[in-house]
Amino acid sequence: MDAWLEWARGPVFLFSFTFMFLGLIRHVGLTAWAMVRTMRQAGDKTIPYAQVLSATLKWLIPVDKVRSQILFSLTSLLFHIAILIVPLFLAGHIVLWTRGLGLSWPAIPNNVADVLTIVAIVTAVALVIQRATAPATRSLSRFQDYALPLLVALPFASGYFVMHPSGNPFSYEATLFVHAMSANVLFVLIPLTKLSHMAFFPSVQMVSEIAWRWPSDSGSKVGLALGKENEAI
Amino acid sequence: MTTPREKYSYYVEEKALEVTDRPRKFLEAFAAVLENSSYGLALDVYTRLSTKCSRCAASCQLYQSTGEEQDIPCHRSELLFRVYRRYFTPAGNLKARLFGGFTLTDEYLDEMAEAYYRCTACRRCKPSCPMGVDHGLVTHLARWLLAEIDVIPKALLVATREQLEGVGNTSAITVPALVDTCEFLEEEFHDIYGVDDVKYPIDVEGAEYVFFPAVSDYLLEADTLMGNAAVMHLTGGSWSIGTGNFDGINYGLFYSDRMMERIVKNVVGEVRRLKGKKILVGECGHATRSAWFVPTFGGPDAPEIVNCLQYAWAQMKAGRIPLKKEKIQEKVTYHDPCNIARTGRITEEPREILKVICEDFVEMTPNREENYCCGGGGGTVSIDEIRAFRTGPMGKRKADQIRATGAKYVVAPCANCKKQLREVCEDNDLEDVEIIGLHDLLLKVIDFSHETSSHGQEEQPTQDGQE
Ligand code: HEM
Repeated sequence: MDAWLEWARGPVFLFSFTFMFLGLIRHVGLTAWAMVRTMRQAGDKTIPYAQVLSATLKWLIPVDKVRSQILFSLTSLLFHIAILIVPLFLAGHIVLWTRGLGLSWPAIPNNVADVLTIVAIVTAVALVIQRATAPATRSLSRFQDYALPLLVALPFASGYFVMHPSGNPFSYEATLFVHAMSANVLFVLIPLTKLSHMAFFPSVQMVSEIAWRWPSDSGSKVGLALGKENEAI
Repeated sequence: MTTPREKYSYYVEEKALEVTDRPRKFLEAFAAVLENSSYGLALDVYTRLSTKCSRCAASCQLYQSTGEEQDIPCHRSELLFRVYRRYFTPAGNLKARLFGGFTLTDEYLDEMAEAYYRCTACRRCKPSCPMGVDHGLVTHLARWLLAEIDVIPKALLVATREQLEGVGNTSAITVPALVDTCEFLEEEFHDIYGVDDVKYPIDVEGAEYVFFPAVSDYLLEADTLMGNAAVMHLTGGSWSIGTGNFDGINYGLFYSDRMMERIVKNVVGEVRRLKGKKILVGECGHATRSAWFVPTFGGPDAPEIVNCLQYAWAQMKAGRIPLKKEKIQEKVTYHDPCNIARTGRITEEPREILKVICEDFVEMTPNREENYCCGGGGGTVSIDEIRAFRTGPMGKRKADQIRATGAKYVVAPCANCKKQLREVCEDNDLEDVEIIGLHDLLLKVIDFSHETSSHGQEEQPTQDGQE
């Protein structure tokens, strides 16, 4: 078991974390490049920056958006707060970073981490339940829409048992292994699935704005490409 | 006149039913569009991120009244996303090779043809999407791709053909008929208001503004056009109607960027022919929004765009429009046309005018950027055969909104909205409501007796004051 555990925490972690990191950087880079290229070709080069920024901020700090669908919004908000804070600011995680790379930053108290962990698990499950019970979301949802929140909950659930071995029905090593491996799987999936929204999020409103900035001869060029330039309407 | 077969809920021309090999042609068109226009970036991001949260459903007036899955904006957009993922992304290609799965078929294209014309592209769902997906953009693109396999509502196609290959405008108004109409309206000024010098300047070179209303106004909305002319006259505005092109309507916005580009370029061409400086758009939402694409298609020195509401409010604020003491007494409310209000570009000017001229102005809720579509947006108002749909499930919200205000006049500064709202009121027991243009209402309170004395020439901008 120890060897497996070392494998999951060592090479596999290194691989999956690097994969996520580079994958997200690639998304950001390619999107930025495509935005620049699109604007260079665009006939109309004006962008309502203030409007784009305000639309972005309204989702980053969604006080305004919580009004509609209040339950879902709050669940989603709490979910995000918990899953972003705990992995980054847990004392036990920072120790690993210090050991590996010599980096260090302030940690949150463990009892706060406990509460946030439970929040993460409860909200993840709540997201899935809300998704399954509301007719509109149920009809839209794909397998991944149910699976991803639950997969996100897994490292939190196993992590909770790692921190509180006394209540844990499974062996400590097995739990830690599940914890590390589920996180690794998640790291790999993040750039490949809709979870990549963490990288795209700052640009999505701008992308939607730029999508309307066409080249000045885009219509006629399409006509030409399709051999329809002289076709009667 | 009518096409024999009705394949979709709207009529298409016979030739659309004869296209063979449609999936291949659709994909070819898709490839050509991705290559030559700039939709690729948005599709790349949207297809990755679409989170299926259904927030858009709550904001859609159609879903609110039907509750059907097919009317969830995200569901509709997914129809096109699926095609994009499968045929235009490496991952989708690979997945299809390995596991098979989705293939574009004729039936699937029919489903899209139905779905994308059940959406008015009002873009009310845009701010509701956490991932920023603009479902209106997706509808816009999907309709273009469908148009390339000839799936186009006949009403839109015939009008565009008349505009680009026929008489030169969507209502087939000839130049003599235009001149007649303008002379008739000038006589009306004499008969009704006793003023003789209100003119509709035709083909005047070097005018500051070249005027592009929805051309149907010349047939249907005499009062709007009289309001426009009265404002231009009283404020000494230098304007002209061009006989080469006097139609602001651009159905290309609703079904094809290829047509849209041609129509916009024709408008710019007419302004250049007349050596005009700016485009003055009449009371028409989609004409205004299409004109906002002038910088896209018109080159770097393209003329500036001014909507007549913006012009009228600027002039009223400067005190150049003399008004009677007596305001409009009846209760008045304002409908925000999606195409000018959704992004907040024109919401306040009409309200400011209405607050000045009306005793009892009330808002609909919600309003401005969050308004509900009249139900006939995206060109669907021209499709008479779907009236029951437009005024029923699609128009219900609007009818409720109007009813809740208890207003006598609903001001809608848009030719499309006006037609649709009249039908909505007829079909939803709102007979007492009158749908009216903003300039029509303004015309009622303009004080023509004033104009010769105190509001003399010296206050007014000179003919070519700007340069
Ligand atoms: C880095 C900053 C992040 C931002 C700004 C962000 C933002 C968002 C937003 C706006 C939504 C839409 C949900 C709603 O309507 O409220 C969302 C959904 C979601 N996010 Fe994030 N997110 C971030 C990071 C993450 C991370 C790290 C994960 C997990 C690894 C994650 C997992 C999810 C999931 C699973 C959903 C879908 C919820 C559902 O509809 O079932 N997010 N996110």
